[in-house]
Amino acid sequence: MVKTNMLPQKAEIVDIKQETETNLNIKTFRYKFLDDQFREKFSFKPGQFMMVTVYGVGEAPFGFASSPTEKDYIEFSVKKVGLVTEALHNLKIGDKIGLRGPFGNGFPVESIQNKNIIFIGGGIGLAPLRSLINYVLDQQNRSKYKNIQLLNAFRSPEDTLYCYDYKWWENTENTKVKYTIDEPCEGWSKCVGYPHNLIDEELDWELPDTKFFTCGPPVMIKFVTDRLKNLGIKPADIITTLEMRMSCGVGKCGRCNIGHYYVCKDGPVFTLEQLVEMPDEY
Amino acid sequence: MMIKKADQESILKLLNNLKNDYNIAAPVLLKKGKKEIVEYVFIDDLNDIYLDRQPDSSPKNIVFPQNSAIGKDYSGDKLYDPEKKTILWGVRSCDIEAIKTIDQVFIEDEMYTDQSYKANRDKTIIVGLSCEEREKNCFCDALGFNPIESDYAPIYLFIKEDQYYIKIKEKEYESLFSSLFDGDQTELNELLKLREKDFNSSEFEIDIPIPLPEKDIFEAEIWDEMSEKCLSCGVCTYYCPTCYCFNFFWDGNDHDSTRYKNWDSCMFTTYSAHASGHNPRDSKDKRYRNRIMHKFSYHPFNYEGLGCVGCGRCISRCPVNLDIREALKLTEKYLQTKGGAKKDG
Repeated sequence: MVKTNMLPQKAEIVDIKQETETNLNIKTFRYKFLDDQFREKFSFKPGQFMMVTVYGVGEAPFGFASSPTEKDYIEFSVKKVGLVTEALHNLKIGDKIGLRGPFGNGFPVESIQNKNIIFIGGGIGLAPLRSLINYVLDQQNRSKYKNIQLLNAFRSPEDTLYCYDYKWWENTENTKVKYTIDEPCEGWSKCVGYPHNLIDEELDWELPDTKFFTCGPPVMIKFVTDRLKNLGIKPADIITTLEMRMSCGVGKCGRCNIGHYYVCKDGPVFTLEQLVEMPDEY
Repeated sequence: MMIKKADQESILKLLNNLKNDYNIAAPVLLKKGKKEIVEYVFIDDLNDIYLDRQPDSSPKNIVFPQNSAIGKDYSGDKLYDPEKKTILWGVRSCDIEAIKTIDQVFIEDEMYTDQSYKANRDKTIIVGLSCEEREKNCFCDALGFNPIESDYAPIYLFIKEDQYYIKIKEKEYESLFSSLFDGDQTELNELLKLREKDFNSSEFEIDIPIPLPEKDIFEAEIWDEMSEKCLSCGVCTYYCPTCYCFNFFWDGNDHDSTRYKNWDSCMFTTYSAHASGHNPRDSKDKRYRNRIMHKFSYHPFNYEGLGCVGCGRCISRCPVNLDIREALKLTEKYLQTKGGAKKDG
């Protein structure tokens, strides 16, 4: 049993990357815990999340965007949409923030060993997937997994995320990376269209040894999971991660429930098999 | 077990002595404008204790304060260890069962214990009070609870006119009452028998499977009708002894901010609203459904027991007369017309 006093650990912002170009509304923050002992003991799984406190402003949940194989820091991508995210965007390198966690179940990194893996990410939904992508593509882990394919969807070329990762992703053995944008655009030679329409053409897989991970805007998750199901993929092999408003992170404060499940502790990672059994309220 | 017997005067004398070492929280009659209401407060003058009827609000505010500072975010200093123990005096069965419900969630959960709540609870001694008669809207017995006595309190009061019988079930509390005369077990048993016989049974009866079948009841077309009058004011959740939803709030600045834990309400319109504007429970029927389902389906599924203790306060307090008993009746009817209630896994 974990005892929680709901108070955050202090961390320092050690790097900030501006992700999107013209919108300027997504930044990736790199944090480092100030307490050395805490940092050394700290561990997490891809797919888990932290509650990030901006001192004096408030707190909000963010999924890890970095892999646990990175021991020195953790990264979170933040889209400016509300009070806490706006305050985060105003912070600079060297500023302090608070972190509570890790919370949630995380992706099933063990049970997907020796499987092919397909990632379908849309916009900032790529953030939690990136934690797992970087984990399975990491040199130490790559041999544990078979073929890996990525289909990264963005609204436009200016909305792309993690451009600095593309080269090493593409250059990793047995790994294919595809990119798509919503509308045709001058100078763009890669795929065009919503990701659910590209699954048949752009990806190939063998059943039953392939696991599908998808995350993106709710409507994209719905279309992608529907398409995958219609293609005969077992709902248990389709894995996604949900977002809900949260305060405590430990299934107590009451706001993130879907039926008797609390997204913060029973999720945020769910298979489609679980989702279809849950009330439609997310 | 130890039985003690005392009159009102000796009880007040005893409490007066205990007041040196303990905080005493008890129901008190308060005048608010023209209204007289009974609430649990930490008391100075023991003559203020008022046990004649069910308090208007529950003792939730004593074990789980509406607003409490839990710590300093920036420095990490915690602010929640109470110095003195609290004797929570005269708590009726419904409210004791409600504290048990909140304990399940905040203390006895397999995954997480809430340290600020636990610190408070560890220093709270519940003294129960046996109900003599049914209040206007309460229905604890219809849900399977016993208004005469709840097992969850270590000490229990049985009052008959000016006589107090005190049942002390745990040895560690016997010394608190050592100044009182011993009571007679047979005498108390007689009183209990009589009380059980005289306690008029509930007109309200309900036969539904617990936990309520989640998907079936969720999708039932009964929620619009039930919640039509709801104003989303949240008063039901504030008076509810088992509602424990909370939120964090902060004051101060970026170097010295205090984190507060405050009651929140699932009946509020923006309770589950995302920063993006998306709101999974964007209409009152969805919010009302969540409240009822949480009490009779989700909580029983995740923990043992019910999320409602039948105190009836939400019925008495609702400004538009929404009645949780009617919601349960509608659910019962829906399940019957669907061809019998089926148990849900």
